[in-house]
Amino acid sequence: MKKVEAIIKPFKLDDVKEGLSNLGVKGLTVSEVKGFGRQRGHREVYRGAEYQVDFVSKIKIEVVMEDELVPEAVKVIQEKARTGQIGDGKIFIIPVEDAIRIRTGETGKDAI
Amino acid sequence: METRFSRGEIQETFQESHAEIMDQYFRRSLQESRAGRMLFRDRMPFTFVAVGGYGRKELCLRSDVDVLFIFNSKIPSPAKDLAEEVLYPLWDIGLDLGHGIRGIKDCLALAGEDFEVLTSMMDARFICGDSPLFFSLVEQLREKTLSKKARAFAQWLAERDKLRMASFGDASCLLEPNIKEGIGGLRDYHHILWLAKAFFHLRIPRDLEYHGILSHREYRDLEKSVGFIGLVRNHLHRLSERKNDRLTFDQQEKIAGVLGFRDQGDVLAVERFLGKLHADMALVKSLHRSFILTHIPGAGKRTEARSEISVDSATTFVNDPLAMAEVFVESCRYHRPLSLDTKRLIREFLYLVDGKFRRSERATGAFLFVVNHQNAFEALDQMLEIGFLSALIPEFALIRDRVQYDNYHIYPVGRHVLQTLFHLKALGKERDLLLLAILNDLSDPEPLLLASLFHDIGKIGKDHAQKGVLMTRAILKRMGYDKAKADDVLFLVKHHLLLTETATRRDLNDEKIIVQCARTAGSIQRLKMLYLLTWADGRATGPRAWNDWIANLVLELFFKILHTLERGELASPDASRRVKQTLQKVRGEIGDRMTPSELEQHFEAMSPRYLLERKPGEIAGHVLRFKTLRASFTDHPAATFSFETREGFPQGTYEVTFLGRDRPGLFADLAGAMALNNINVLSAHIYTWRDGTVVDIFSVTSPLDPVRSREIWEKVERDLKNTFSGALDLGERLKEKARPSILSRRKKWHWQPEIKIDNQSSDFFTLIEVFAEDRIGLLYQITHALFHLGLDIRIAKIATKKDQVADVFYVRDLDGEKIMDAQREAQIKEALLQSLKQG
Repeated sequence: MKKVEAIIKPFKLDDVKEGLSNLGVKGLTVSEVKGFGRQRGHREVYRGAEYQVDFVSKIKIEVVMEDELVPEAVKVIQEKARTGQIGDGKIFIIPVEDAIRIRTGETGKDAI
Repeated sequence: METRFSRGEIQETFQESHAEIMDQYFRRSLQESRAGRMLFRDRMPFTFVAVGGYGRKELCLRSDVDVLFIFNSKIPSPAKDLAEEVLYPLWDIGLDLGHGIRGIKDCLALAGEDFEVLTSMMDARFICGDSPLFFSLVEQLREKTLSKKARAFAQWLAERDKLRMASFGDASCLLEPNIKEGIGGLRDYHHILWLAKAFFHLRIPRDLEYHGILSHREYRDLEKSVGFIGLVRNHLHRLSERKNDRLTFDQQEKIAGVLGFRDQGDVLAVERFLGKLHADMALVKSLHRSFILTHIPGAGKRTEARSEISVDSATTFVNDPLAMAEVFVESCRYHRPLSLDTKRLIREFLYLVDGKFRRSERATGAFLFVVNHQNAFEALDQMLEIGFLSALIPEFALIRDRVQYDNYHIYPVGRHVLQTLFHLKALGKERDLLLLAILNDLSDPEPLLLASLFHDIGKIGKDHAQKGVLMTRAILKRMGYDKAKADDVLFLVKHHLLLTETATRRDLNDEKIIVQCARTAGSIQRLKMLYLLTWADGRATGPRAWNDWIANLVLELFFKILHTLERGELASPDASRRVKQTLQKVRGEIGDRMTPSELEQHFEAMSPRYLLERKPGEIAGHVLRFKTLRASFTDHPAATFSFETREGFPQGTYEVTFLGRDRPGLFADLAGAMALNNINVLSAHIYTWRDGTVVDIFSVTSPLDPVRSREIWEKVERDLKNTFSGALDLGERLKEKARPSILSRRKKWHWQPEIKIDNQSSDFFTLIEVFAEDRIGLLYQITHALFHLGLDIRIAKIATKKDQVADVFYVRDLDGEKIMDAQREAQIKEALLQSLKQG
């Protein structure tokens, strides 16, 4: 079982969501996140005064899935989050020990 | 009875009937009780009273039933048995029962110490037992406690109000209100009753009217509103199966159904239901507030420091109705609320606000004065509360209590637009100094303020921004509002969602998106107003609609649009007009060779620069060529291209047009293929469309051998094809070619090439400027180096003057971002210089 975590641009959310659900992903978590990458924010100057913008707003999606689905899911996210030649964002794949559905107590594959 | 209630058969009278059933039980049970008979026999009279809500005959389903056994002096031992006999059966059926057995003295002492007890005693109602004892209790309570402690009591209630506000908020405008303890909830009504009892010895609620504390109309409205809130509360308790006073979303729908609310057009039943509930709670809140200000001397300090605005007599308004509008001007000017009497008068005389009134200069003048004034929020709040705002601008009546069922709005529309204005007025208190700087830059904030009030006026159905424009236009016309300023207001109403929608749903690195926004805004002033409206609107909507995350995106968008407008190049009114004309001409040239929708799709993809810089004839030609190419694009994207040459101007030059699919390194290949055939590039325009189509237009020197020029051009095209297919290694061939021969000694640089990296000029690209001496193959070296540095060239301006070149490349990294890293900048410079030297 793996967790696929992707940081994407906000406007790509709908496309990625649609792509993943077409793939049969049952549920995903979306959060509004802020952070910075290589470029550490930037400065805006307005009327001589400087305003520092430290973070960039992005969307983080998290999906837990069975191992077999991972390559497909990564491909879909990559395709959907890209505009032409230009790609943007990151995907992380993290091993998951187990999952438990709170209501029923089901574990593993049944719980995702 | 509960079943009939759940079916909606008994409504208004439910609580009272509920209390009466309980009364009957107690009377019978006490009569039949053995302990009761014993006490009676032993001449130990007692009185049995209902207190709290039960005492007020407002016995809500699943609420506590509070009762007291009161004895004259000492409590005899059978009293406990009596209580058990009477109360046990009720406990057994699971009723929440509170009871006390006390002597009169204890009662009074407790009430004196603890105002909580006092309030419950104030609601005491005789049920059975010894009536003289009951009256003695009431009498003593009044003489010994109430008259002495009235002021302290009023202060205690005022403290409670503050606590309620802090923990439950203003129920009259929250979407999940606490209908008992929230401000505007039933507690407000109880406070009125208790205060009236303490200060005016009122016995029953109706006395409020008999004693002239409230007007007939006010009392009637209060009774109705409290009745409705109480009704909702009973249903809420029934559905929650416990005493729960927070009206959550899931319960609202069910209650709206039971109470007979139905969907009406786009407005959901539940939205209409909550609208009515809010209106009722707003009325209770308003009467409670004015009651305290007018009648309670304990509220002293505040009243003295902040006197009220009032008019002498009703004749003022009868003789001069327009004075009603001007009262609010005074309220603003002196920052004082209207007195209860004045509010009452205006409410009674609202019918005088007619068409003539609304069109009058005085009314408009007063309204605009209020809107522009620093204290506008308080004055408009009173206008809204009294109903004057809806009378002056009837369009407001439609949205005043309109509730929106989404996850974002926490206020009904009427309250929301006032909050929007509030945030603009309170902008000076924000930590974000940029907002204030922008506000101070506005030459006239009036259109912005009006737009804050009108932006959601169309919320009577779908497409509210568009509807809002029509309604706002009608309102402003009626007011005789200045035409130019009205246009600004209408612009703001129409586009008030533009920035948030674009920021969250579109690619902010796409220059075309930004240019389109800039053209919509049209001017910097308008953009600034739009930004402030977006911010205030978001803040007034709720935390889900506005937070740092969204604010960040909107700010990024704002600056990008601002810079685009400031540079003017792509979004000036002139540019917008020229692009419009160009599109029209291209449509004419294409005629019926393409369906209109297909053509519009192409327009959508073209970059703003391309549309500005190329002539309609050229564009039409490109579009048609693209159409024939497109079929094979999917199969052989690299090998499919069109390559055309024609003699150019000035004489001795050629114009080369390349049309194909974009990919990294394409530009370098083009430059290389020409260098290989000794053709020097004098200038170049490269355009990348959004759909990945590339249109590159070069002005180049003629082939060295003018007689064989046709053949040479054919060779260039062939070289390109072979390069794309991988059959030809351009780099290797050029290296061979550059090997010094005995005939041509390698030219040395007379001066060092210079490279500048500019991140200021564009929000979308990093500009790399190269200044160097011209020679064949130079462009290839530069673009090839850029390709190897992982840079994507989106726009290039190549210019040659005599033997010097000044080339500008608009580049982004492969993530589509500018190069903002000092280390990387240095690396790029170094690599470029290195490759030029090697060449």
